Amino acid sequence: MSIHWLVILPILLPLSGAVFGLLLRKFARLQFSLSLAAMLVALASSVGLLIYTFNESPVVVQIGRWPAPAGITLVGDLLSAFMVVMSQTVLTTGLLYAVACRDKCVHYPAFYPLFLILATGLTGSFLTGDLFNLFVFAELMVISGSLLTASADDRYGVEAAYKYFYISLLASVFLLLACGALYASYGTLNIADLARRIQTSPNLPLTQISMVLLLAFFMVKSAVVPFHFWQPDFHAASPTAVSAMLSSVIVKLGIYGFLRMTSLLFLEQAGLIRAALIVLGCVGVLLGGFSAIGANHLKRMLAYSTIGQIGFILVGIGWGTPLSLTAALVFAFNHSLIKSAMLMLAGAMASRAAVKSAAFNILEGIGKASPLAGGLFLIGGIALAGIPPTNGFISKLVLFKSGLEVQAFAALALIGAASALSLVYVLRAFMQIWWKMPTSGVKTKPDGDRLIAPALLLGGCVALGLWSEPLIGLSMQIVNWMAEPGRYIQAVFGG
Amino acid sequence: MNLLTALAIGVLFGVGIFQLLRRNVIRSVMGLVLISNAMNLFLLSMGAYNGEAAAYAGSSAQISDPTPQALALTAIVISMGGFAFVLAMLYIISLRYKTSDSDHIQELKH
Repeated sequence: MSIHWLVILPILLPLSGAVFGLLLRKFARLQFSLSLAAMLVALASSVGLLIYTFNESPVVVQIGRWPAPAGITLVGDLLSAFMVVMSQTVLTTGLLYAVACRDKCVHYPAFYPLFLILATGLTGSFLTGDLFNLFVFAELMVISGSLLTASADDRYGVEAAYKYFYISLLASVFLLLACGALYASYGTLNIADLARRIQTSPNLPLTQISMVLLLAFFMVKSAVVPFHFWQPDFHAASPTAVSAMLSSVIVKLGIYGFLRMTSLLFLEQAGLIRAALIVLGCVGVLLGGFSAIGANHLKRMLAYSTIGQIGFILVGIGWGTPLSLTAALVFAFNHSLIKSAMLMLAGAMASRAAVKSAAFNILEGIGKASPLAGGLFLIGGIALAGIPPTNGFISKLVLFKSGLEVQAFAALALIGAASALSLVYVLRAFMQIWWKMPTSGVKTKPDGDRLIAPALLLGGCVALGLWSEPLIGLSMQIVNWMAEPGRYIQAVFGG
Repeated sequence: MNLLTALAIGVLFGVGIFQLLRRNVIRSVMGLVLISNAMNLFLLSMGAYNGEAAAYAGSSAQISDPTPQALALTAIVISMGGFAFVLAMLYIISLRYKTSDSDHIQELKH
C-alpha cells in the first residue's frame, strides 16, 4: 500500500461512507455503524498521516497524476495533518453524541450521510493544496452543515440555516473573487505555486485586493468580529451534534487559513495581516466576553464565548513569534475539545428540560437531577476560563508567556482582563442551572441525551492539562515547519 | 469588448449589492444571484483574451486558457444548487413567518 493513501483516505472514507450510508437508509443501526466505522478508520489514517509527516516528510498526492501546477494537489504537511486529526477526533465524538441523543432529526435517513459529508468537506479543505479546490470543499461543508441545521427539531432551525447559508454564500463569492484576482495576476491557483510566484513579484496591483478578499472569506468561516453575526443565532437552533462541530472545529478553518496566509502565501504583507489580526482578536475577545455575559440562552452564551476564544487565537497568530504561534495551535486544539464538550452538555441539559430549549429561564434548576452533568460542566467551565488542571490553563499560559516575550503589554492586559470575563459567564451559567431551585411545578425529564461523548472529550481536556508536553512539542515542530515555506513548495514540486 | 465586459461585470455587481442590502429577503437573495453571476463573468474574463480557439489537444492555433472556463462551470453548478436550497428555505420561512421583511424574521433573537 502506497503512503499516498494516508492523505486520500481521510477524505475518501467519509465521502464513500456517506454514499453507502444513503444506500443503507432503510437500516438505521447498520447505517450508523457504517458511518462510525468510516470515521474511525479515517481518524486512524489521519493519525497515521500525522505520525508519518512528523517522522519522515510531508505526503503530497497529485490527483490523476497530473503534475503540480496543472492538476489538483493534496498536501498532507504537518499543519494540515494536525488540523485534520483535531477535527476528526471531534467529529467522531459528534457521531457518538448524535446516536445517543433524543433529537428527532438524527433519525432522518440522511442525517449521518450529511454529517459524513460535513466531515469530508472540512478534511478536504485542510488537505487541499489548491485554492479553487478549497472553494469546492468549503461549499460542500456549508451546504451539508446548513441542511443539517434546517432539519433541526427546533422550529426556528430554518431561520438559522438560512442565515448561515446566506453569509457563507457571500463568503464563497469573496473566495471566488480572490481566486479570479490571483489567477489573473499569477496564472495559477496551486497554493505552493502561488506562494512561489508571489514571492518573486509581491506587489502586483491585484495582490493586496485578493489578500483582503481571502481574509474576508476566512473571517466569515471563523466568525471573526465584523463577520460574527450569524454565529449566535445559528447555534441557538442547530441540532446539538451539529452545532458542537460548527463551533469547535469548523471555525478552525479560518485559523488554518490565517496561518497559511501569514506563513506561506503573503510573506511580504504578513506584517499587515498580523497587525489586523491583533486588533480584530482584541475586539473579539472583549465583544465575545461581554456578549456572553449578557446572553440569556446557554447555547448563545457558548457561541459568543467562541467568538472570544477565537480572538485569543488570532492575537497569538498576530504576535507571530514561534512561541505565540505554538500558543495559537495549542489553543486551537484545546478549544475544539472544550467547546464541543460544552455545547454537547448544553444540548444534554436542554433535552432534560420540560420544554426542549437551552434558554436560562427554562434550564433554571434543571441540573438538580443530574449531578454528573454538573460535574462535567464545571470541568469544562474551568477549562474554558483557563484554570488548572485543565488544558485551557495550558493554552492561556503559553499564550501569555509569548505575550510577555514580545512585550505587548497593552494587548496582554486587555486579553487578561477579558479572560476573567469567561470565568464570570461560565459560573453564572453553572449557578443558574445547578444551584438554583427549580421553579415549582416544572418537571424535569428523568432521562435525556447520554453524556458519554462530552465525558470522553472532557477526559481528553483533563489529560491534556496534566500531560501537555506532547501537544506543545508537536505544535513547536509545526511552527518550525511553517517557518520555512520553501520546504512546503519543494515538497509539492520536488516529489 | 474589454470595456463591455468590464461594464457588464460592474453593473451586475452594483445592482447585486444594491439588492443585497434591501430588507425584503427575496430581493436580497436575488442580489446574491446577481453577484454570483457577475462573479462567473469575472472568472471567465480572466482567461478570455489569451487566444481564440478552443483548447483541444493538438490544435495549432493560439488556444484560449481553459482553466477559467472550467472554474466558471464549476462555480455555476455549485451556485445553482446553493440557490435552489436558499429559495426552498425562503419558501418555508415565508410560510412560517408570514412575511418577507428581514426585520421580522428574527425569532432566534428572543
